[in-house]
Formats: sequence, C-alpha cells, structure tokens
Amino acid sequence: MYPKELERFLLKVQKPGRYTGGELNSVVKDKNSVDIRYAFCFPDTYEIGMSHLGMKILYSLINAREDAWCERVFAPWTDMEEVLRENNIPLFGLESGDAIKDFDILGFTMQYELSYTNVLNMLDLAGLPVRAKDRTSLTPIVVAGGACVCNAEPIAEFVDITLPGDGEEVTNELIDLLKEYKAKGATKQEFLAAAAQIKGVYVPSLYEVEYNEDNTVKSVTPTCGAPEKVEKRNVADLDSMFSPTEFVVPFLEVVHDRTTVEIFRGCIRGCRFCQAGFLNRPLRRKSPETVEAQCKAICNSTGYDEISLCSLSTSDYKGLEKLITNMLPWTVEQKINIALPSLRADNFPKELMEQLNAVRRSGLTFAPEAGTQRLRDVINKNITEEEVLTTAAQAFAGGWTAVKLYFMIGLPTETEEDIEGIANLAQAVVDEFYKNPDKPKGKGVNVSISVASLVPKPFTPFQWEPQDKPDVLIDKQNYLISCVKTRKVTVSRHVPWTSFLEGVFARGDRRLADVIETAWRKGCKFDGWAECLKPEVWEESFKENGIDPYFYTARRREYDEILPWDHMDYGVTKKFLMNENVKAHKGETTASCREKCAGCGANRLNGGVCDETGKTVV
Amino acid sequence: MKPVRLWFKKDGLAVYISHLDMNRCMTRAVRRADIPLWYTEGFNPHPYMTFLMPLPLGQSGMREPLDIRIEGEMSFGEIQKRLNSVMPEGIEIVDVAKPEHKPNEIDAAEYEVDLWFENASDAEKFSLGASKIIEGGVLNAEKRSKKGIKTVNLCELVRSFDVSACENKVYIKTILAAGNTVNLNAELLVNSLLSELSLEETDRNIVRTKLLRSDLSIFE
Repeated sequence: MYPKELERFLLKVQKPGRYTGGELNSVVKDKNSVDIRYAFCFPDTYEIGMSHLGMKILYSLINAREDAWCERVFAPWTDMEEVLRENNIPLFGLESGDAIKDFDILGFTMQYELSYTNVLNMLDLAGLPVRAKDRTSLTPIVVAGGACVCNAEPIAEFVDITLPGDGEEVTNELIDLLKEYKAKGATKQEFLAAAAQIKGVYVPSLYEVEYNEDNTVKSVTPTCGAPEKVEKRNVADLDSMFSPTEFVVPFLEVVHDRTTVEIFRGCIRGCRFCQAGFLNRPLRRKSPETVEAQCKAICNSTGYDEISLCSLSTSDYKGLEKLITNMLPWTVEQKINIALPSLRADNFPKELMEQLNAVRRSGLTFAPEAGTQRLRDVINKNITEEEVLTTAAQAFAGGWTAVKLYFMIGLPTETEEDIEGIANLAQAVVDEFYKNPDKPKGKGVNVSISVASLVPKPFTPFQWEPQDKPDVLIDKQNYLISCVKTRKVTVSRHVPWTSFLEGVFARGDRRLADVIETAWRKGCKFDGWAECLKPEVWEESFKENGIDPYFYTARRREYDEILPWDHMDYGVTKKFLMNENVKAHKGETTASCREKCAGCGANRLNGGVCDETGKTVV
Repeated sequence: MKPVRLWFKKDGLAVYISHLDMNRCMTRAVRRADIPLWYTEGFNPHPYMTFLMPLPLGQSGMREPLDIRIEGEMSFGEIQKRLNSVMPEGIEIVDVAKPEHKPNEIDAAEYEVDLWFENASDAEKFSLGASKIIEGGVLNAEKRSKKGIKTVNLCELVRSFDVSACENKVYIKTILAAGNTVNLNAELLVNSLLSELSLEETDRNIVRTKLLRSDLSIFE
C-alpha cells in the first residue's frame, strides 16, 4: 500500500493531503487482478487537477473496466519534489502508492502550454527518460490528450502518442490494443504502428518533418502506414457517451469543488480568438433529461451542494429554462446551488437569474472582450455595449454591487482608441449603477476588469496573426490604467511574459523540444505560476539552442505556409478559417450557427450532423 | 431541532486531513447520508456543525466529538449506520449520542504516544530524561497563541505522565490540559522533550484516546 517511508515526510510538506489519496470515491483495486495499470497524470498541482472534468470522466471510464486500474498523479509541489528526490522515492500513484514507472500507460492531460516542463519533470521524477526514443520497452507508453495536443509538435519528442479530440472512446480502444500487444510480447514500435491506425491517435515519431531555410515547415511525411491527416476523435452522441456518476471528493479545498455536468460540446458563436470554440465543433448536445439525471447521481454520491452546468456558452443551451425549472424543486429542497458559468449578456432571462439565486448568490461576470464595437466585430464577439449595460442595470436592480468584466488586449487591428474603450465601457457600467434609483444605501459599486493578452492559437482564424511582444503589451496595459479615472474600477492584468511563452508553444514546432529540455534541466517548472516563472532562464535556453522565439509569435504567417499542425484535422476547414481571417480584417461579423450555418465543415466528422443546424448534408 | 453529538475515530492516512478540510468532509458526509440536518437561517444557510476539539494535523483520534443539529426524527443507530456507509477511509463514527456535557467542560485529554529511536540506548535515554524533566516541574517552551508567541512552562499543563522504553521504542501515556482556555498539543510536549534531551526520533505516532472533564471523568 502507501509507501511507509513517505509517511514520515508528509508532515514536513505543505498540504500533505495532496499526496495521500484515500478520498471518498477514489478507486482501489487489487493490482494482481488487472491487466493494464493507467496513471492519469495532471501536470499541475492537486488543487488544479482535481478541478478538471476530463480527468474525472476518464478516471471513472477506465476504472469501470475490470481489466484496468486508473490512478491519479499530480505534479508534486517543489517542497515535495525535494523530499522525493532526496529520499529516492519515485513518483507514485495516489491510490496504490506504487511507482508509476511500472505502469502500462501514463496519460498526461495537456490543458496549458506552460505545463510542458512539468511533464518532463514528472517523467524524470518517475525515474523515466524524458525523450520518447530513450524509453525503449513497450510499457509505459506515454500518452497526451487535451486542447494543447491540437499542436503537439513542441512535445512530440517527449510523448509516444497524442489523442486529439474527445477521449471517451479512443481511451478504451487504446487500452484494448495495448493489452493485446502486451500479451503477444510485441515491441513498442509494433504497438505504435498499430495504434496509429486508430482514428484519433497521433504517433509523432511516425512523421518526418523537414524545414525550409527560413525555418518554416517544408513537409510532414507519414511513415509506417500512418495516416496523412490525423482526424480528431469525435463522440457523436453525448446522451449515450460514458459519463461518471461518482466524483472523487477531495479533502483539500480545490479550485472547482462541485458537481460539474457538461450540457453540450462545441459552440455556436465563432469568436475568432477562441480555440475551444473551433476545436470542439461540431455542436453536440446532451438532452436535459440526461443532464438532470447525471446531476442527481453525482450530488448523491458526493454530497456536493453546488452544480455547475458547464459548456462553452451555457445560455446558448436549447432547453436551459426547462432544465432549470425541472431542477429547481429538488435543488432548492436539498440546498443545492446551480451555477451557470459562461453566460452571455444578451440572452439570459432575468426571471431565471432570480430563481437561480434562491439558494446562494453567485458573482456576475461578463466578457465583452474588446472595448469598442469595431474591435468586437473584428473578433466576432457579437455583443453590443447596450446589451452589456442593460444586463448590468438589471443586475444592479437585483441588488448586485460588484461586476467583473473580461477583456483582451493585443487583438488584431487594435488601436489606442480600442484600449481607451475598455476604460470607457467600465465607466459606463459604473454610471449605470448610479442611475439605479433603488441602489442599496451606503454601498458603492465595484467593477473589476480583467485584461488578458491575446495568444493566437492553432485552428482559430487568428492562427496566422502576429502576437504583440511583451513590451508592447506592457505599454498597452499602462495606457489602459492611465485611462481609468475612477477608483470604482479595478484593473487586473496578465503577466505579458507568460502570454509570450504560451504563444511560442501554442504555435511552435518540433525544434522547440531542445529548448524545453534545456529550460527544464536549468530548473524551470510550474511556468504558469508567476512565482516559479524564470524568464531569464528561458531566454538563455532559447539562445543556447539557436532558436528565435519571436519566429513563432511576432511573425505574420502567409496563408500558403505549411503550419506545423496542418497534418491534424479538427473538422473545421483551413479555407473557412482563412475566410474568417479575411472577414476579421474587414471588420465583418459572422452570424452564430443558430442564425445561419457558416459552413465551417466540422459536421463532416460527425457523419454530416451538427446538433445546432440539424443539417445532415456532407 | 435536536442537538446530536457524533463521536468519530480518525486514523490511518486520514490523520493528514486538516481541521478545515475535516469540516468540509463531514458536511458532505452528512449530506450524502441524507441526514435531516438543521441549517442556519442566515443569508448563506449552512448546516450547523461544530468540532469541539480540533485534532492537530498528523494525530489520530479514537473518540472525537462533533456536534450537529437535526430536524425531524432519526434514531441514533440509524444516523450512525448511514454515516458509516458514506465515510471515507480512515474516518468512522464510533457512537452517536445526546450531548451530556457542555463543550466548555472539556478540561483535559489523554494521549498515547509511540516514539521510535535509532537504538535502544536512545530510547532508554529519552524515557529516563523525560520522566526526570516532568518530575522536575520545569520545561519552558514557546507557545503560539492568538496574542502572539509567549514562553510557557509546559509542566504546568501536564496532568499525568507515564513513560517506558522497550528496545528502541518509547511508549508514553499522558493527560494534558485541553479546551478553549488552556490547551497543550501533545506534539509540542514531545518536540520540547526531544530538543531538551538533544534526541531525534525516527518515527512517531500520536493518538488522542479520550477527552476528560476537570475531575478527570470522561467527557460525554
């Protein structure tokens, strides 16, 4: 069971509960009764990882199999890493305490580019070589999934397999295949070649990449019969798809600690900066009946008193009112709060909002994303200032005194006027508060604006766009702050260097592997944590490997350039993205899928079906 | 609305669950068990739940009290059965009863402490040294309280202290002041004795066995 030698150190580290396991609904099996041991690795802390829905789904899905046992592994915080290294304790699974280097599959979820160094660090802590080519035995196979693997090239040298798209079906198929190949004593090469034939499996080592003299990609050539284009995996029917009825209930306070049920995948909106909105097309909807049943089951098995109905744009769910009306009686009775993240300002009925706050009142957040209508048209965030102000006025009338607004800077075609527009919009929201005759006495208003920096991502219309350099972003941030004239508006901003590094990896290629390894060897990890990020070490690492990071971020790419991720197929066609890019520069908007099908092409992956348009044309 | 006192045991890896986390854990457990909890009537209704003597991180407890309030009827046996069917590993409800005594009647707690040393001679040294210090009546240590750090003579907070050594293991049974006004954490006593004797243990195990009233009768 749990490594006894470790217990002695648990009281010497912060939050020992990160490393003990044993939470309610965690799954302990007899290791001798399973064929495949799977370590689900989250390359960040326990608190972040335990909030992630994808992990909960795959954990339950794998453990539902009798022949496999899935355990959880998180990146140990630096204090625990020291303990592990000093005492030669290899990284272990939380459920068994066994070293994961002896497991069959290590599955990393890649949600964030700045966790790449943590993947290397975890492999190393496990006692494994970080490069895929140096791990020669069949097992453990290192697999990666999640949004970042739409461009897995920067980590292609470290992982054996990536799983673009939905993981629910392909995970089982991969386990079946490994079980078969393990039984017949196959080599890793034989297994990888066979795995590459599964839809939704990418084996980077089976592709040869050549570069032009200007460092752009010249060609990507599949070998060993691997497909020319790797199509992402798409689960067609969300109602029959595996969905967990139990969540592991952490003891520690984690970021999102509640029942989370997805209501649909994909998005009808087409905001041009939003990668998730394009990667997850076509739209597939879960029925309200399924959603409600899943919410009930998870609340019963966990004791959670909050439900989050999650999607990329929850108020776009057809049947949301009906769903909530059905759920309110039992949730109010059991004092369960329903949270609706990702609401839009334009289409959420006020009455529903009031009913929802029957149990506990949650915060109010809008995402206008840009300060002027012109720029909102460029990014296709089809929301007007009037809509924001009307909703804010309603909220103030309902007793709210704090509103959060999300914006981005560094957007294509952005001018000073657009940045000033952010401050003006925030001011207009403040003014709206004072227009309200019934405003609560003696209470001021607080409008907090959070300003992120655009990181152009693959598979978005902005994938060809240059990204602002950190010093430009700092100037823009400072300009914004100088435009804010009231203390009722507070501004929080992202670290420009973080966005820069994120941008390098998001649109990077395989030549970055050496940089990542160098930086990690020099001590970089948890790069997404401001207190751990070491810009000077990264700069050194780029230099040592002769790589200009601005090649990846600051350059406008030509439409005919071969992009490092062009051999991945996420359904949405490159032609559609190009057309959207052209429209962005003209300031033309594209209607939501509900109004008119824009012909993105993603329904091709779903047998021609998109749950939004109901169309079955190919 | 009826007050109910739950008595739970916490050991194994559950000792690494902090007090704050225990709070969340128990709230969810009573919800899962579908016990008709009484909720506070404030702006943010929450179930009434009070741990009478928070257990320090890393220590086991054999019989720890937790007060809740229920609405409607449910037998103590049923509450215990339901809770135990949903408890995480390492936490067990050992009894459910009517609160007999008021929380402020807790005056002392009994602990059993095991210490392991490199060798028998260190164990012997500790055993002899520790009883001498306690008999001597002076063991000053810095104690953190709400008002800041101050030096306290721990011996004044020790009600009884038995120590013996067997091979490389030391076994301590002690009763220490406990409660809201004066409280001595067994860990502080052990650490102070170790540092006073310039010894280092290889492993330790601290168990709180019972809570007592001022006449040393058992707190119920």
